[in-house]
Amino acid sequence: MTVRGVLKTLSPLFACIGLLCVWQIASLRLDTESFPTALESIKAIPSILGDKGSLLNILDSIRRMAIGLVLAVMFAIPLGLLMGRIKAVAAFFNPLMMIIYPVPKAALMPIIMLWMGVGDVSKILVIFLGVSLPIIYHAFQGSKAVEEKMLWSGAAMGMSAPMRMLRIVLPAALPEILTGCRTGLVLALITMITSEMIARQSGAGNILFNSLDMAQYDTVFAMILIIGAMGIIFDAAFEKLRLSLVRWSQPRDDMPLSFT
Amino acid sequence: MQVVSLRSDAHAESEPLSGRKPASAMIEIDHVSQRFQTSGKQSHLALSDINLTIEDGAFVSILGPSGCGKSTLLYIVGGFVQPTDGVAKVKGKAITGPGPDRGPVFQEFALFPWKNVLGNVMYGMRQQGMKKAEAETRGRKLLEMVGLKGYENFYPKELSGGMKQRVAIARTLAYDPAVLLMDEPFGALDAHTRTRLQNDLLDIWDTQRKTVLFVTHSVEEAVYLSDKVIVMSRSPGSIKEIVDIDLPRPRKRADLLLDARFQKYIVDIEKMIDDGKDHL
Ligand SMILES: Nc1ncnc2c1ncn2[C@@H]1O[C@H](COP(=O)(O)OP(=O)(O)O)[C@@H](O)[C@H]1O
Ligand SMILES: [Mg+2]
Repeated sequence: MTVRGVLKTLSPLFACIGLLCVWQIASLRLDTESFPTALESIKAIPSILGDKGSLLNILDSIRRMAIGLVLAVMFAIPLGLLMGRIKAVAAFFNPLMMIIYPVPKAALMPIIMLWMGVGDVSKILVIFLGVSLPIIYHAFQGSKAVEEKMLWSGAAMGMSAPMRMLRIVLPAALPEILTGCRTGLVLALITMITSEMIARQSGAGNILFNSLDMAQYDTVFAMILIIGAMGIIFDAAFEKLRLSLVRWSQPRDDMPLSFT
Repeated sequence: MQVVSLRSDAHAESEPLSGRKPASAMIEIDHVSQRFQTSGKQSHLALSDINLTIEDGAFVSILGPSGCGKSTLLYIVGGFVQPTDGVAKVKGKAITGPGPDRGPVFQEFALFPWKNVLGNVMYGMRQQGMKKAEAETRGRKLLEMVGLKGYENFYPKELSGGMKQRVAIARTLAYDPAVLLMDEPFGALDAHTRTRLQNDLLDIWDTQRKTVLFVTHSVEEAVYLSDKVIVMSRSPGSIKEIVDIDLPRPRKRADLLLDARFQKYIVDIEKMIDDGKDHL
């Protein structure tokens, strides 16, 4: 790798360090109790992750997030693909989506809690709602853009309509779907934390707000760091998966295009 | 070889070679009309009362100004579009939808971008339930035939236009359709690649003797390849003239370009198409 390449791969790291430095200096300057320094906050991380209760809480959050995300993916991809190919399905769901889209899903949390309690079900449902829409939207766009001649080619090979949906529309729309899933993943994390802030019972969001109540500011900032790191790690891992799944849609750059 | 038959059925010359039984109708188009709904209550007659019979094993080209319904006619035979009037038949049976007896090749290639070259070619065979190993062997053989040996693992994105169209042709030949439906398959290619592919297509047709329905914009291409050239006119799309191309096969481009009959066919057909334009 060239020096430039190394610099490029390390640039997020530099950004992180830079941010932490600014934080450190600002907090030393301001010197208020509610704004601990970056070092103090980082030092508080091991004690959170080392504490069995806190760790279980965080894992619990991740579990709910994963369930909500998987359910949303399983629901949103087929729906989006059908909307993209069948006009009647799109005509039915598009207006519904237009209404639901701008509503902050966390704002539904109080009602959902009223009906379903403060437990897992409510939180998973809110995550599901938050994540579904972008995935539906991207699956819809991807499915709509599938070249008709590709489907005709499949039909001429004797593929039935459901078969074409599964074996042509789905893979052809995959790059677009995965873009939606990436947005969905980050949204899942956001909705997860928000839901736990509202339904204060367990989870990473709960730890954060409990320590705020108890004025343990280093824990508050440590939790923010942990949640932020989770977001970055999930996103990076997903990006890796995504690239491996849609390599075919990127040209190979070391390939000569000459022919015969 | 100077045994040039003067019979109008150029096709008959090849009979002793392949020992085929007398030509029978492969495609019959019977009073087919196609009307498209345009904006509002208006409609547009894209095809008006088309009647046409294409014999088994014939190479037939369709020529005409753009918008005269060439693609639409091909799509009707493919079963991708249902005609608003009349019937199209293949082997005597009315066409109700697409089927593996009619293989399309489109100008846009329409390859499956998530499959590599071999995967694309194997796709149709796998759909028909052929065993993987068998499909792979046949796929590799077809790729060799279209000159793409060594490119099996490339993805469509990594190929030039000519290579993509070769893959598309191999993919369609793979499931062995009786009829090839080609809609300006070489239209997007440069002149050199186009000539090569024309020759390769003729070679393939010589050995496999499929019925080919071939839409093109190029008069020269149509005359070079075909037994029969159908000249269409526009508004409404209809058949203006059918020209039998009585040139010996196998055809060699270099010989034909110097052949007065070849040149005359081109001039005559160009005149027919130009006549159509006067009426606009
Ligand atoms: N799906 C469609 N809806 C409306 N009009 C169409 C449709 N397909 C084709 N047409 C019209 O039918 C006519 C013939 O089209 P086409 O078969 O594509 O012509 P060609 O292939 O000869 O250029 C054109 O005027 C075109 O605009
Ligand atoms: Mg056309």
